[in-house]
Amino acid sequence: MNDLSNTDFDPALAEAVALTNWLPPEAPLAMPRQVLEADADHALLSTLLRLIFPARRV
Amino acid sequence: MQQRLAGYETRLTRTVALCTALSLAFVAAGLTIEATLQDGVQALDLLRGLLMFVTTGWLAWGALLAIIGLAPLPRTAAPAYDPEQGRSIVLMPICNEDPLTTFARVAAIDRSMADAGVKADIAILSDTRDDMAAQRERDAFARLLSTTGGQGRIFYRRRDQNTGRKAGNIEEFIRRSGAAYDYAVILDADSLMEGATIRAMIARMQADPELGLLQTLPKILAARSFFGRALQFSAAFHSPVFTRGLARMQGVTGPFWGHNAIVRVRAFAESCGLPALSGRPPFGGHILSHDYVEAALLARAGWVVEVDATLGGSYEEAPENVLSYAKRDRRWCQGNLQHARLLTAPGLRGWSRFVFLQGILAYIVSAFWAVFLVASVLSAAFAPAPDYFPDTYQLFPVFPNDRTREITALALGIVGLLILPKFAIIAEAAITRRARSFGGTLRAAGSVLTEILFTSLLAPVMMAYQTRAILQIVSGQDGGWPANARGEGQLSVAAAARAAGWVTVLGVVVTTSVWWLSPELVLWILPVSLPMVAAPLLIAATSRPLRGGLFQVPERNDTPEVYGKYLDVIDGWTEDQPSRTESPAHVAA
Repeated sequence: MNDLSNTDFDPALAEAVALTNWLPPEAPLAMPRQVLEADADHALLSTLLRLIFPARRV
Repeated sequence: MQQRLAGYETRLTRTVALCTALSLAFVAAGLTIEATLQDGVQALDLLRGLLMFVTTGWLAWGALLAIIGLAPLPRTAAPAYDPEQGRSIVLMPICNEDPLTTFARVAAIDRSMADAGVKADIAILSDTRDDMAAQRERDAFARLLSTTGGQGRIFYRRRDQNTGRKAGNIEEFIRRSGAAYDYAVILDADSLMEGATIRAMIARMQADPELGLLQTLPKILAARSFFGRALQFSAAFHSPVFTRGLARMQGVTGPFWGHNAIVRVRAFAESCGLPALSGRPPFGGHILSHDYVEAALLARAGWVVEVDATLGGSYEEAPENVLSYAKRDRRWCQGNLQHARLLTAPGLRGWSRFVFLQGILAYIVSAFWAVFLVASVLSAAFAPAPDYFPDTYQLFPVFPNDRTREITALALGIVGLLILPKFAIIAEAAITRRARSFGGTLRAAGSVLTEILFTSLLAPVMMAYQTRAILQIVSGQDGGWPANARGEGQLSVAAAARAAGWVTVLGVVVTTSVWWLSPELVLWILPVSLPMVAAPLLIAATSRPLRGGLFQVPERNDTPEVYGKYLDVIDGWTEDQPSRTESPAHVAA
């Protein structure tokens, strides 16, 4: 590891960075969407919002 | 995975706290209704009783958190760290941040981890939209690699679309690279963590295979203004006690505050894929306060979520003036109110639902206080005149019962709920000798008293801001996700007046309305309306730098190692950029 006092700007390295995509390793992991609202909840919320704000689209 | 139930002590603590808060709320509401019914039953009186119930219950709940957190947690042996068990990564999601200060923090954390013998990669996950800003990030990344020699270990990735904002940013990383890592430390752009702390967090994960998330309590660094220093002091002096109370109350269903925490990548991946909510913002669309939801989802899937206030070496920065604070608060307010949609989400643990409710109450209560004040003034203004001779033939007058004593007791009780926990924390700090690092007990007490006075003055201003935010949100105005204005600082009175002039106008309207409706109440309303009238002065004055011993915190005398490393890097990087000498980095911790 380099010493942190070495803060020189290296244009060649900057160029390399600009040309390279410094991406983390590719290792896909599934991330399933979670269920947070049941249809019945949405219907109830819509009804409540219509009661409170009759003029609004919900 | 089967859910680990809350332990007996946790359930007992919750029950006692809830019963106590409800009892105090009932007493307060009862006293209010009894006192206001002297002139007959009016709808406003019942409304005031109801509002008093909710607001006092909320205050009592906060006070109980502190009381429950007074006793120190039992010391447990720290598990050993095994660098070969599992791969770790530090994630720093950024969006339109100052690349030099942000990447300098990464360099400091990288060095600190090396010193602590921690084996971990680092990934900077950029959501920056502007191409020029992104170019500056790439330049800063070149400096970072040059300084740290971190090729192949420190990564930089910029998304084309910032779908889902920060939560979407982390999610994209996990979908693409998650299988390469077992543990991920999630930071914010202004976070700093000691390598030793990261080492201890990874060790905790290694030791407990059911632990899904471990949250630390970040302390505030680099505060300069009176406002920032007050916030810094409060976070350092009061928050550990409140967090201990929270930990005792939440048990294994702990919080996630979005950063300065470690997650088990597999647990996070299988539990925390957030959907966009049906409908449009502010209540629909992407989940703004995603961290609370992610904690609830981890708990739903059976993972343990814990907060540990004893883990030091965890830092962040904070707003330097009231306006920045209110701007951040607007976003949090919308996020918390959006959680109303999730109160009935399937499968959540009861405590997670209660946490959502607490988050909603934290903002709604401000509006309730405002409505309570309005109802009280209207009630007094339109109260019927006392009837001293209710019977036609009556020799002596009948005076209404004097309830001054009960009302005074109620007012003192409410003030007590606000202040007593802080006095109890002073006593705790004196007994445990924690106060030494805050300049001694006397100086710490002076700081607490000043902070109480300041927050009392600020409370009506924040009540105005939060009530406005709630009205905006329920009327469908989406505040969006404005970029963080880090490093912003001192405000002139003119700038404060431009931004908060409406609070002044509101204060004047309140005072004159009360004068017109019920002149005898003017003196009572002044503690609320005067700070509102003087809001620009208050905001400007508290944005000025504060020097001296007030709001002393341990980090100001004993600079954290990782912060020292950060200053070293930023000094080197800004040597050839004189225009950056006012960098927010160049201040004492």
